[in-house]
Amino acid sequence: MIDQFVLLLTHGLMLLAAWRLLSRPDLDDDNAESAPDSTNLDPKAQQP
Amino acid sequence: MTDLAFAGFLAAMLVLGLRRPFIWVLAYAYVDIVSPHELSYYIFDDIPLSLIVAPLAIMGWLVFDKDKSFHISSTQWLIGLLGLWCGLTTLYAEFPVEAQFKWDWVWKGMIWAMFLPFVLRTRLRIEAYVLFMVLGPALIVIAGGIKTVLSGGGYGSLAMMVDSNSGIYESSTAATIAIAIIPLILWLGRFNTIFPQDWKVKVFAGCLVFACLLIPIGTEARTGLVCIAVLAMLMLRDNRRRLLFIGLAGFGAIVSLPFLPQSFSDRMGTISTYQADMSAMTRIAVWRWTLEYVSEHPTGGGFGIYRGNNIQYTTTETLESAGATSVQQRVVVDRGRAYHSAYFEVLAEQGWAGLALWLTLHAVGLLQMEIVRRRYRKERAPLGYEWVSPLATALQHCQIIYLIGALFIAIAFQPYPLMILAVQASLAMYLAQVRKREGFKPLAETINEPGTPRMSKALPGTLT
Repeated sequence: MIDQFVLLLTHGLMLLAAWRLLSRPDLDDDNAESAPDSTNLDPKAQQP
Repeated sequence: MTDLAFAGFLAAMLVLGLRRPFIWVLAYAYVDIVSPHELSYYIFDDIPLSLIVAPLAIMGWLVFDKDKSFHISSTQWLIGLLGLWCGLTTLYAEFPVEAQFKWDWVWKGMIWAMFLPFVLRTRLRIEAYVLFMVLGPALIVIAGGIKTVLSGGGYGSLAMMVDSNSGIYESSTAATIAIAIIPLILWLGRFNTIFPQDWKVKVFAGCLVFACLLIPIGTEARTGLVCIAVLAMLMLRDNRRRLLFIGLAGFGAIVSLPFLPQSFSDRMGTISTYQADMSAMTRIAVWRWTLEYVSEHPTGGGFGIYRGNNIQYTTTETLESAGATSVQQRVVVDRGRAYHSAYFEVLAEQGWAGLALWLTLHAVGLLQMEIVRRRYRKERAPLGYEWVSPLATALQHCQIIYLIGALFIAIAFQPYPLMILAVQASLAMYLAQVRKREGFKPLAETINEPGTPRMSKALPGTLT
């Protein structure tokens, strides 16, 4: 039961991370525009 | 059912890699760290997963990566040289079959570590790889942590999901890796950009660190306790409120004492009574044998040479009964005992040359991270590079904890520490690329250029 839960949690997180990488142009190019600022990742704070 | 879930996960990763081939690199990191074939029951038994995913990842880079650089770092050269040397000693190994068996997994880890700096060439790629280096071991860390809370664990008895004693599933190795990844978890908690930086990430990172600290208790591996002490000392380096940190750590240790299982306290107590402890005395005897062996065979005996050892040692135990104290001595004879130390493992198997290469490799990693750490420290870091110095510190601390744990476990050629070195080299190479791209010149070169302000001549409007 514990093992199943942990397998699901960690594999789910890894898959979610991979999924989120698909929409990040800065994965392949550091200068790509959508590279978020590492110091401020709050989407609300990035709005003008 | 579990097998199908593993197969589904890997298939999903491989499919996602069709859109972003870098995901195949992460898939290999997963295969190498988690060893899903150890966890599955039958599906992966006959499938050489690493031999499928690794070529895919390398091919993905060769074919689809646009800005390829073939610049080779000193770390890659050193891993290559060490690999060549190990290959050579395998040819002349005293136990050829056993040596070949170990060489079969060692070279894969080395090739992968040499490849990584080519492909980890953006900030996000480095971050994603570090995330997988944390989420992979998190599998056994979280499961082990929960089981420790529920049952208390015990050396070798904490069910690590799998009936295996290899790789990260071996108790002492698991305890060392669990503590070594704490700095990486803390870095991801602060600077991760893959997941939204909200309370959920912080809570998960906090719980994961707690689970990591439970692994040495659950596995009752003494190495883990030593690693926790080293981690605490390392964390003091960059802590502004040192006294508060020491106070909180001491308070935490005292509060947790009553909750530690008796078997844990008993086992940790043997650290100070090592003379009566067979496990500890065996180590010392094997290390002595190693020194004698290399004095006769300075180039080492090849992988698995420990099988040739023949040791004899005496254990001394002080017994008290009815007010009288008696000293009991026992002579123990043993053969084919493992090294119980990565340093002696390298020395016995690869000789002095191999040990020199291995130590240089680690020294370069430590030094490289120290340079990066200082160069990008706090106000020195350009805008947008505040994450650099903390990452260099985390990678350096991770390596130091590994090097301390490796004093007591033969994990010199494990793929995980090679990955740490490779990520360090990637970070250093990435920063060199950034400096080149942004026209950075060292101070020594710019100081003589026209227009460079001089310290002796104050600029208008500046305070003198």
